[in-house]
Amino acid sequence: MRLGAHFRLLVTGLLLSFAVAFAAPVSAQQVNPTADSVREQQFLDALKGNPSAELQGRITIPDQKAATLERPAGRDWRAFHQGTMLRIAAIAVLGTLVALVAFYLIRGRIQTEGGPSGRAITRFNAFERFMHWLTAACFIVLALSGLNVTFGKHLLLPLIGPQAFTNISVVAKWAHNYLAWPFMVGIAMMFVVWIKDNIPGMTDLRWFAAGGGIVGKGHPPAKRFNGGQKIVFWSVVLGGGALSVSGFYLLFPFYAGGVLNLQFWNVVHGIVSVLMVAMILGHIYIGTIGMEGAFDAMGSGEVDLNWAKAHHSLWVEEELQKGHVSGGPKLQPAE
Amino acid sequence: MARMKFLCDADRCIECNACVTACKNENEVPWGVNRRRVVTINDGKPGERSISMACMHCTDAPCMAVCPVDCFYNTADGVVLHNKDLCIGCGYCFYACPFGAPQYPKVGNFGSRGKMDKCTYCSGGPEADLSPAEFQKYGSNRLAEGKLPLCAEMCSTKSLLAGDGDIIAQIYKERVVKRGYGSGAWGWQTAYKETIAI
Amino acid sequence: MLIKRKTADVQRGRLQAAIAGLSSGVMDRRAFLRRSGLVAGGIAAAGALQIGSVRKAEAAGLGPATGTKIIKNICTHCSVGCTVKAEVANGVWVGQEPAWESPINRGSHCAKGASVRELVHGDRRIKYPMKLVDGQWQRISWDVAINEIGDKMMEIRAKSGADSVYLLGSAKFSNEGSYLFRKFAAFWGTNNVDHQARICHSTTVAGVANTWGYGAMTNSYNDIRNSKTIMFMGSNAAEAHPVSMQHILSGKEINRANVIVFDPRLTRTAAHATDYIRIRSGTDIAVIWGMMWHIFKNGWEDKDFLAARVYGMDDVRKEVEKYDPKTVEDITGVPEAQMKRAAETFAKVKPATFIWCMGVTQHSVGTANVRAICNLLLATGNVGGMGNGANIFRGHCNVQGATDFGLDISNLPCYYGLVEGAWRHWARVWDVPYDYFLTRFDEVPAKGGRPARTAKANMETSGHTSTRWFDAANLPAEQVDQKDNLKAMFVMGHGGNTIPRMPDAVKGLEKLELLVVADPHPTNFVSLGQRKNGTYLLPVGTQFECSGSRTCSNRSVQWGEKVVEPIFEAASDYFVIYKLAQKLGFADAMHKNLELIQGKYGPEPSAESILREINKGGWSTGYTGQSPERLKLHMQHQDKFDLVSLRGAVGSPVENDFYGLPWPCWGTPELKHPGTHILYNTSLEAKNGGGTFRPRFGLTRERTLPDGSKVNDTLLAENGSYSLNSEIKDGYPEFTMGVLKKLGWDADLTPKELETITWIGGNAIDAVNWANDLSGGIQRVALAHGCVPYGNGKARANAWNLPDPVPTHREPIYSPRVDLVAKWPARPDERTLRIPNLHTSVQKAAVEKGIAKSFPIVLTSGRLVEYEGGGEETRSNRWLAELQQDMFVEINPADATARGIKDGAFVWVSGPENNSKARVKALVTERVGKGVAFMPFHFGGFYQGQDQRGNYPKGTDPIVLGESVNIVTTYGYDPVTAMHEGKVTLCQIAAA
Repeated sequence: MRLGAHFRLLVTGLLLSFAVAFAAPVSAQQVNPTADSVREQQFLDALKGNPSAELQGRITIPDQKAATLERPAGRDWRAFHQGTMLRIAAIAVLGTLVALVAFYLIRGRIQTEGGPSGRAITRFNAFERFMHWLTAACFIVLALSGLNVTFGKHLLLPLIGPQAFTNISVVAKWAHNYLAWPFMVGIAMMFVVWIKDNIPGMTDLRWFAAGGGIVGKGHPPAKRFNGGQKIVFWSVVLGGGALSVSGFYLLFPFYAGGVLNLQFWNVVHGIVSVLMVAMILGHIYIGTIGMEGAFDAMGSGEVDLNWAKAHHSLWVEEELQKGHVSGGPKLQPAE
Repeated sequence: MARMKFLCDADRCIECNACVTACKNENEVPWGVNRRRVVTINDGKPGERSISMACMHCTDAPCMAVCPVDCFYNTADGVVLHNKDLCIGCGYCFYACPFGAPQYPKVGNFGSRGKMDKCTYCSGGPEADLSPAEFQKYGSNRLAEGKLPLCAEMCSTKSLLAGDGDIIAQIYKERVVKRGYGSGAWGWQTAYKETIAI
Repeated sequence: MLIKRKTADVQRGRLQAAIAGLSSGVMDRRAFLRRSGLVAGGIAAAGALQIGSVRKAEAAGLGPATGTKIIKNICTHCSVGCTVKAEVANGVWVGQEPAWESPINRGSHCAKGASVRELVHGDRRIKYPMKLVDGQWQRISWDVAINEIGDKMMEIRAKSGADSVYLLGSAKFSNEGSYLFRKFAAFWGTNNVDHQARICHSTTVAGVANTWGYGAMTNSYNDIRNSKTIMFMGSNAAEAHPVSMQHILSGKEINRANVIVFDPRLTRTAAHATDYIRIRSGTDIAVIWGMMWHIFKNGWEDKDFLAARVYGMDDVRKEVEKYDPKTVEDITGVPEAQMKRAAETFAKVKPATFIWCMGVTQHSVGTANVRAICNLLLATGNVGGMGNGANIFRGHCNVQGATDFGLDISNLPCYYGLVEGAWRHWARVWDVPYDYFLTRFDEVPAKGGRPARTAKANMETSGHTSTRWFDAANLPAEQVDQKDNLKAMFVMGHGGNTIPRMPDAVKGLEKLELLVVADPHPTNFVSLGQRKNGTYLLPVGTQFECSGSRTCSNRSVQWGEKVVEPIFEAASDYFVIYKLAQKLGFADAMHKNLELIQGKYGPEPSAESILREINKGGWSTGYTGQSPERLKLHMQHQDKFDLVSLRGAVGSPVENDFYGLPWPCWGTPELKHPGTHILYNTSLEAKNGGGTFRPRFGLTRERTLPDGSKVNDTLLAENGSYSLNSEIKDGYPEFTMGVLKKLGWDADLTPKELETITWIGGNAIDAVNWANDLSGGIQRVALAHGCVPYGNGKARANAWNLPDPVPTHREPIYSPRVDLVAKWPARPDERTLRIPNLHTSVQKAAVEKGIAKSFPIVLTSGRLVEYEGGGEETRSNRWLAELQQDMFVEINPADATARGIKDGAFVWVSGPENNSKARVKALVTERVGKGVAFMPFHFGGFYQGQDQRGNYPKGTDPIVLGESVNIVTTYGYDPVTAMHEGKVTLCQIAAA
């Protein structure tokens, strides 16, 4: 089934998941419960109009989930999880990797123009770097353990055998459940700390128009974060937010409502996470082998002034005015 | 080789819950885990019907398909079983199951629901047949003793049928023909993708 | 993918044979295979029973157990009589297997039956004898307990008399236990001995016995497979007798039978009806008469049957004329068309059977309700044949047997009544001088305007009923017709929450000087009220922990073998009764003919020897042929009996016997009477299980003709109605020595029989009859000539010696239809069984106070499948308790909306007496109609909002507690049996 169809189905499911009730014909003259008995065919017919229909009844045990007799929608979720999800994940993750390799082969490592100046400027302070690496480390574990759920049994299980795979998966599950929390904290902190530098503006449009300096020659001007980085920021914040919310419901299954809701949040979680994995792969590429000098920003926190001028010219100007540039011969302000 | 199935003849089911307690008795199932349950549709209205439901041991079982650690397996009788040593308690089978069969020992949040438990068709698990370890993890293994699940064997009105799918379908068919009515083999379309043509 | 390798492939063929059995009727018993794994697991579970120093179930170490035994017993819940097959290893009950071979349940169980194993593992059982000292439970020994209880009983006896000790027995007793308890009461010297039949089918027994002779189900569960019309009234068999539904639904399917259900609720049974008819609670007579109106008007009655076998139907015809369709619809709410269709179906689509339960019996007109139904059966000729009859589903596993053995205020064992002849008969059987009993009973002084009673008169006066035990404690002494008020209750196996007016019961409990509860679980008697002293708890085993026979509803007697020794410090019923008799000084006389065996804590009578004594004396009911040997043979060969006819297969050791030798099983065991599957069935020979209506109301009855002259109508059968091959082709009276002589059949008696008859008769040998001839000779000779020992009479439609000889509709005491009370009032105030019964006063007061306005909802009550009776036992069973965790009230969506009540929310249900109220959960459902509410009666342990869990001894509190419906139920008692009005009162419901 197509992704769109899935979403439509699940959303309809959320909105319309109704207890199928059948009106029984009651004549004043004779009540014949045998003849009027509810038939499964009525439910199966109702399913045609609403594939998310659930067959609800009454049950004496307190677990009201058990009152759902049939929920064929599970089949659609299964089809999504085993088919669509697998394909999206494969395309997103492998596709990105392939694209990056290709890009590297074509473009090579992007060098800092004019070579290193020998003078450094503080790009990210210790707290910002802690925040970033906390989130990043969590994300990597979360991503790997998450991908394990989707791909593990196809890739890892045949290699290491069922018991070892289960052991790994249990650890992965606990890691996923517990590291979700620092990850969410990291996302929240990044949002608070970096939001002011990530408000989109005209500069970003021009930056994009100029190809971001990756394609073609020359660097368009950019503030502390260029258009590409803003994309990353917002993707992380929004995607992370979506993952947090959906993950929360999956961690606390009884707040999500019925199983249909759990299925929905599971789909959201799956799709958003593989898209984020794809995007973060690009982010990692650019921050490491893709571009000379970029890693220093989150490594030591200090970047070469020339690198900064090339990539974040407007920000450097601001920083220079504030006198925040360190190392090497200081620029003397005109007095 | 037989293909084991369940069939609840709702025109016989009276919600007596014998299947539920027989299951508890036979498999020492703890409080809160309901491998089998009886649901009443249209309760209180003329024509209400009660249906006993547990794992239907589906053909091409969704739980088996979605399990991230592949802990499910089919027996030669078509029974869907799982290996608790491999289960990581992720809950995916519960999302996928059309019948709400998977149960978890704890009402845990935070992924702490424990290992999934469900109807084994009274045929134990991957441990050696009739071993104490098998009983402790999965309950009894009546199939290995040449018996059928106790829920069906003890059904008060012979409503819940267990056994080879063709045979129980035949029994149901005969009943419907004899009495002239039948509310359907509930869940068969969903579980086995088949209907019993009368 | 893993593929499980099967070790049992070879057994698949057998498995399929078993499956095939599902469609073709009787199921083959499959070879039993050892299940070592399960055994080990079971033992591990049993090992969890660690309760201090108390002896726990002995279990072997882990590992494959050897020597697993199969022991058969009977389910201890309802009266269907399902065989329970227990697997026992090293004295521990480790598994339960379906008993395919039982013709009654064919392997099936309901929720209760499928979980009985838990009863003997239950860690909430009473573990040792206890007494209450200043509000604290103290552990004591059996010896101390029996000593203190006995001393207190003797003290009360000396001060207030033997009648001040109430002996409340149980429908859970085996036949032998019931009999022994009744015998105990006789030796103690009181008729204040009762059990659950009082609140269950006492009105049925009274009504049915007064119509055609015996107070029992006429046919059997299995025989319903022959019915073409099955009518239910006030019976929810699907929840109360689930396994019976196997036979009923099979009959419905095979015969395409009509299933007509009259009920105020759309029950789980009604869900399988072909015609569900909702009636107003408490209008049963109007419903029956409404159908009879159509039957008589259209001439659908069975005229031949009426002429030959029924007396007095014209009197009924006269009464029925008042019940035209309009009147009936006004009273019952049933439209004419529905009523007519039901009547026509019942009269024409034959055989038709009528099934009823507590919905009919638990009314202040219960006996009249029952007789109205009997009249419907008689008018349509639906008694005494295959597929028809009065199929009265009784409630407890042995309520039929306990009734048969006189756990009843008005009978010695086997319905001999309390007359001098009855006492003399049993004194002969017991080998105790008749005069001994005269010394045991109280003399009652004159009081309240009533004359004094001698000990002999008191011995022949019915006792006080269990439904009103607290009135006997609470009322002024002069209103209570015995020497003194009630001072002590000795309760064995009876709940305290099953009788209405619990606020009055609380007061009564506080008046008691002694309360003894002997039970596997502490009942509501223990938790109710605030007693501080004088209360004893004795741990008694379930029937799985002792051997004995039990009689299921269809009169079949089944032998149950002890599965395990009583757990903890529990003892058997036999032991408790013996031990107490010993303390009270009459054990030796009482157990003279009984074999004493070594029980867990000392000597106790063996069940076999008690049954042999019953066989020696139970002539009147045909309890003489069921020797322990024959019963055990039946259990061994259960698979040899036919599913429908219950007849033993030709060539088998049980050839020709009906399963369980359903009483009457005439003559001595050696006579090999097969038992009587269907009562009053003239199409069989008497010696082969046939019968006739029993002439027990005289031989003739005087009738005044319109011109004032009088004629004597015969009460014996006419027009050639007699059992097959009878030598007397007409009606005949009961057999006595005198009758034998007249017929010249006395020559057939053996010298030995004649000797016994002469010994019994003395100088009035002609008066010795079929029921007190201990030789069995009179029965043998009568049967040899094809005659039924009790005679061949007519059933009577007019029970002239009962209140309302022809039943008439009477509005319930608390009626929602105040406008109908004037025309259909309750009976005038009267005295019923030692106590005032104020029908009219209470009804009038309710009308004057406008109760129907302030309490506008009709409240009725009933069973849940998971629980039984007062519910302590089943609510302590974790497998059952999980399924019903809250007490609830069913309320119609319209009433709920009007009151702002949501499904699952708490509500207060308040009753019209004593400012009573109960806090329960609302179950909003269309099962009940608008203006009607329903509550199950199995809950206890909460009282008007208060949690009383702390009143139970630690660790013995049931898992699930809840308010009892009987907190809010009200006054109203049947004039014949003092049955309570459990099925219709008024209430108000408000959100809590």
